[in-house]
Amino acid sequence: MIQSASLLESWTQENNQLASGCKDGQNEPNREHNLFRQRRWSSDFHKLLRKIQGIPPHLDRAQLELSVVYNTCVCFTAQSQFDEAELLLTQTAQRLLQIAGDDPGTSDPSVLWRTALKSVTGTALHRRVLSLLCLQWGVWLAKSRLTAVQDFQEEMSLLEAQSGAVWNDCRAETKEKISNIPILVLDPRRLVDLLKICTAIVQGAERLTEGWSVLSALQAASASPAPRALIAYTHLLSGSCLAHMNRPQMALQCYRKALETDPRCVCALYQSALIYSRLENSQAEIQALRILHSMLLLPSTTEPAMAAGRLLSPSLFLCSQSLSSLLSVPSALSVLHSLALKCVIHSRVSEGVECYLDLLAALQSEDQHGVHAVVSTLPKLPRLYLEAGAALLMARRPADCMALCDEVIGSTLDLLPEKVLLEDPVARRVAGSGEVTEEAENGLVRLLWTAAAYLLQGHCYSQLKDWKQAVTHYTRCINLLVKVHYKDTGFSLQIPCADKDPEQGVDLCVLQRLKGLSLAGRGISFAQIDRLREALRDLQLSRQAHPEGVSARRWYGEVLWRLDRKQEAAACWEQTWSNPIPSLSEALPVYAQELQSGPLLDSAELHQKLQELGPT
Amino acid sequence: MEKLSSDDSNRNVHGLSHGGKILLFTCKRDPAVSVRERSGLTFRSFYFEREGNAFLNATEGATVISRKPSAHVDIVTCKCAVDVQKRVKTAFVLVTKMSEKGSSFKYSLLALRSSHRLEPCIEFKLPYQMKGKVSILQGPTVMWSHDNSVSYTSPEAEGVRKIPIQMSKCLFGELPIQKGQLFALGLSEPLLANHSPTLGYLCEGGQAFDGSLVLPHPYICITQCMRVLTADRVDDVLRCTVVAATSNQQLVLFENGTVKDTCEVPFGQAEDIQMADTGRNGCLFVVSFNQGHVCAVWKETFQMASCWSDVDSAHVDDFLGCGTEQILLIFRNNGISSGPLEKFIITDLCGISYSCGQGSEAPKASLPPQENSLLTLQALESRLQSGLIVLQELEREVRVKDRVLQQSIQVLTDVLSGRETVLSQPEQEGLVALWDSDEESNDETPDDKLHETPALSSRPKIDKLWHRITEEQLVVGLILTADSAIPASGVSLSLLTEPGQNSTPAVIQTRSQVFWLPARGPSTPTLSSPSPGFAFSEPAAKRSRQHIASDDFSAGRLAVTAVTKLAPLLTSGCVKCRAMLHYAEKAEAVFPGSGPTTAVLHCGEVSLDIRNLCQKPLLQNPQIKTDEVREDLLSLLTVLDNWVLRIDSPDYSLGDIDGWIKRREGFKKIDVSPEYLLLDSPGSSAPMLLRWHQINPFQGDLSIHSSQLQMLQFLDSMLSYLPDSCFIQPVKRARSQSTAQKLACALEKEVLSLREGLSSLLCVKDEEERKERRAGHGETPDSGSAEDLVRCCREAWQQNVEKSRLRLNPVVDAGRYREMVQSISQVKMDSDLAALCQLNQS
Repeated sequence: MIQSASLLESWTQENNQLASGCKDGQNEPNREHNLFRQRRWSSDFHKLLRKIQGIPPHLDRAQLELSVVYNTCVCFTAQSQFDEAELLLTQTAQRLLQIAGDDPGTSDPSVLWRTALKSVTGTALHRRVLSLLCLQWGVWLAKSRLTAVQDFQEEMSLLEAQSGAVWNDCRAETKEKISNIPILVLDPRRLVDLLKICTAIVQGAERLTEGWSVLSALQAASASPAPRALIAYTHLLSGSCLAHMNRPQMALQCYRKALETDPRCVCALYQSALIYSRLENSQAEIQALRILHSMLLLPSTTEPAMAAGRLLSPSLFLCSQSLSSLLSVPSALSVLHSLALKCVIHSRVSEGVECYLDLLAALQSEDQHGVHAVVSTLPKLPRLYLEAGAALLMARRPADCMALCDEVIGSTLDLLPEKVLLEDPVARRVAGSGEVTEEAENGLVRLLWTAAAYLLQGHCYSQLKDWKQAVTHYTRCINLLVKVHYKDTGFSLQIPCADKDPEQGVDLCVLQRLKGLSLAGRGISFAQIDRLREALRDLQLSRQAHPEGVSARRWYGEVLWRLDRKQEAAACWEQTWSNPIPSLSEALPVYAQELQSGPLLDSAELHQKLQELGPT
Repeated sequence: MEKLSSDDSNRNVHGLSHGGKILLFTCKRDPAVSVRERSGLTFRSFYFEREGNAFLNATEGATVISRKPSAHVDIVTCKCAVDVQKRVKTAFVLVTKMSEKGSSFKYSLLALRSSHRLEPCIEFKLPYQMKGKVSILQGPTVMWSHDNSVSYTSPEAEGVRKIPIQMSKCLFGELPIQKGQLFALGLSEPLLANHSPTLGYLCEGGQAFDGSLVLPHPYICITQCMRVLTADRVDDVLRCTVVAATSNQQLVLFENGTVKDTCEVPFGQAEDIQMADTGRNGCLFVVSFNQGHVCAVWKETFQMASCWSDVDSAHVDDFLGCGTEQILLIFRNNGISSGPLEKFIITDLCGISYSCGQGSEAPKASLPPQENSLLTLQALESRLQSGLIVLQELEREVRVKDRVLQQSIQVLTDVLSGRETVLSQPEQEGLVALWDSDEESNDETPDDKLHETPALSSRPKIDKLWHRITEEQLVVGLILTADSAIPASGVSLSLLTEPGQNSTPAVIQTRSQVFWLPARGPSTPTLSSPSPGFAFSEPAAKRSRQHIASDDFSAGRLAVTAVTKLAPLLTSGCVKCRAMLHYAEKAEAVFPGSGPTTAVLHCGEVSLDIRNLCQKPLLQNPQIKTDEVREDLLSLLTVLDNWVLRIDSPDYSLGDIDGWIKRREGFKKIDVSPEYLLLDSPGSSAPMLLRWHQINPFQGDLSIHSSQLQMLQFLDSMLSYLPDSCFIQPVKRARSQSTAQKLACALEKEVLSLREGLSSLLCVKDEEERKERRAGHGETPDSGSAEDLVRCCREAWQQNVEKSRLRLNPVVDAGRYREMVQSISQVKMDSDLAALCQLNQS
């Protein structure tokens, strides 16, 4: 009877068939199909491994066994089955020690691996054990056990140093007997490369604030062989690190490099936009946001492109919290909103209007599709409408603005409270009566929206020079605003933007502003239809409610002039001279700021008048 | 069929299933009659009644084993086996009688001949007690292992036989071949050199065989029990399927000695494997373990079907009489002294299930065949996923369409309302603009300008003329001083022979190349003339700064080399060559507005003597920074073949290629020009020069100066380092260069074909003449009168005169001439085409 093929040979063949099938199948374009195949490979490899590990470990078969363990673990890792992979690795290390006859008496992986490595030093198995250790490294990395990774830094560097020599070894071996070498599904050198850069990225992200040491590690990582996207990440992280070190220009350079390296690295673009905003380079920021928005609309950027064609996707190992927060980019709609806001604030009104209209259209279409998830990062819809309305008003499209305001009023008017009673913020903080105040707050917010809508409409009419209508809408606004009362009488309405309580503070500030602006608007309208007395009263009240209002003061002077109280007018004007109308800021909603939309007083004319007055 | 595992020593009840019934044997020591009276064996058979869901007693019987009062009788095992003589399956029970002294053991095998009669079948004596595994196999044969050997006995065997081979760790069983073959397996001891370590022995034929056909040898040690499912002899080779339970908690299926499948089982220490045929649903392996655990494993999928614990014994038979087999599990009844068949399950794990005494502890639901449902699930999942993908793609498309629609509507409304559509610059270009990306493009221009607009100068000044001899080649090189800035494109060097030997100096065929020695120091010779596709890298600032002190502050020097074969030159022993520099003068320097004119400059002589040629290897010591070394380098660059390869890896950065090359054995940096790496291992014949120029992390140019074979070897080893997805392509040379080269080639071909055509034409004629002459000579009479001789001589002389006249004005065959002209005109046409291309280029 002839001798049958030995187990070693048949198992090696089986492994090689599986591995080459695995290698060939990696280029499958269909991702889902790939996943399915991966699952099959891993179960096949695991089956083979169970056969091999079903018999006592032996030195002759150790090479094969370690290779199959490697292949199986790679497959497990590719499917994020880290626990299974780790269990397998530990078992293998123990079997390895059985061969050597060592018994560390512990199942602590790091001790096991150290002993195992020591036991095979100088043998052909050393390389295989190192590559398994490499997989262990991957598991640690995926589970964010960075300290364990750090512990093995020394062994890892050994691995790197060997990678060149190891490969030459491999080739020599291959020449000897081609069929008997168990094939690996993934070149361990590639795995080392991948893990190295992933470790550098994760560690960099965790220790961004540490300065130069992290930076140099990242720079070193960026020169190592790695997938394009990961190289881009190293540049991105270098940029963030530099930004932490207060070197925005260098950071920008790094972000640019990241984007040049991988155009899909939109987070670099977003981070640059943030830096530009910090540097107050509004034009650049707007440009960056615009590009970011158009890139986010491309379908390719939102998809994970890294996994394509490779067995192990880098994203398996990049699961650090701080990294993902760094890599996250707001949705296209939020980007569009901030772009719109920036445009309006930095006097690129027409662009801003377009952006707002795009945004509203997108929101509407999403509303129809029932997708609401994205909206949460955006401001509330009425506020968006009001901001868009303000932009339209600034772009001298009062009709459109009025339509938007009507929308806001229509949706909020029915929900308005009869009266909003506000407690003293200090007292409220002590008492902490949550529910009531929340309701009151909601009421206040809705009330402010409606009031702002009326205010904008008043502005629209005054822009159309329909003064009567303007007066009507300003009056509506004022009537709404006076519904807000304070519980504590000792606490007057004189608080400007209080920084102590941000939300309430902003709301109160908006309230005051709206009051001032609506009174001023009504006063100006009265002045236009020559009801100077009412005009004077309103403007006076406006100045009280909102002392910073410039147009109110100028018009106050004008009305005084017309009432022939020229000296007072002149004094008033002199005062306003020094401070021009402030530019828009981001701290407050646009609609609660002076928009320069109403009738303006020509300053030259004022000068002339003053000069006329001078000699007299 | 299998002994009841009796931990309880008081109870000595063994059961087996036979013909759908359960047989229970009890060794009876009647306490009422006193132990001394007699020792007997009672047996009872039970059948299962479906209605009552219980086993009912069918028959009972008893037999006396020993009449000696002192004998200690025990049941060893009981099993069903084929009685070969009667050709019927019979239940056998093996009992042992220990002698008084305990020194010898008497065994007898009893057969249950009818439903109520036990007959002795074999009787034998052993000097020891059977402690290991004992089996009753077909024959009937009793087989047991003792002390690393296997013994057996049967009615035919006439006494106890021992297998005559020394084996360690024995296993035995039977092959289900037509005529039952009992075999034993073991590890041979001592190990034989040419032999499989697994040894098999067939009891009946008495022959040894390769045991690894049944079980591979690593499994011998760990197999706890095994069962041969099928066996067959094909061409005298044993083919068999075996299932074995190992100590590693696995059930392993072997086919012809290779592992087919494994199944993890939750227990170790298996004792028996039975097989149950459940009919349509396939077969089950029933594995019983030591501590009363039982596992059922599907044969088809080799997946565990179910497992039970606290089992007293497991039997397989058709207890229901329905045509398929079921598993009967008899559970231990803890302490309750009721009948032996109170707690049991009969099941086939696919529909049939009867249980009794299990109470709430209902049989564990049989696991469905896992593989099947897994496959179904996977198929469904993949369908679902592909459906999802299609859906997502559709959604994406709809989104894009919506956007396009929106934008178009916007543009339309804009047009209608007379507003101008505002398209931002990047939108118009369909590009993604970076905010400040317009700095870099200017980077390289100053560098280029540096090379392309040299200062005007009348004639180049020669710095140094040198020559090297390497491998039958002569390299003559020339370094021009920096201020003699002439355009590199038109520069070449040619060699002329010394006019003293011939009346006119002849041009030696040479190949000329131009190199840039960059400004500030001699560090980087950059190949320019043969491959201007090279990106001129700026000189590495750091390195050159170190050399400033020692070197001239010139801006970009030019080195011109010419290489020619040495041997033809040295035919006359000693030779002097003139080196002539050809260069294109700046047109404006002579006549403004006219094209560049070429000028020739004699720059020195090179003298060679065959007697003292110094042929020493070039660049022996690359660490030295002298002019000689630089000249050596230039010579090597000239002599060696050159390839420039673009390595491009779009998805995966290349990493530190330079470092990799340096780490390879034998590569040394050349200090005069650190960009170049020299491989000058003593083994390889020719040196190899490498230069790696990284364009960006994903691209780089590798120029290799070496022999073709070396280049291929190097590339092969490099491929293992490079990422899999990278492309390697030879760098396309600039088009002007390629057309120029084409023209040169075409011209060369033209000249060659002209020469060859003409010479062949004339040679043929000469040949003919020679033949004629030879023939003529043959005619001349050797002897004759002086007059005849004179006449002949005159004729010959006249012929010669005629011929020499003809040779001066040769007449050639018209046909051949036509042929030649045709071929030459073809070649000429090609070269004209090349020239046209070249003209178009320039």
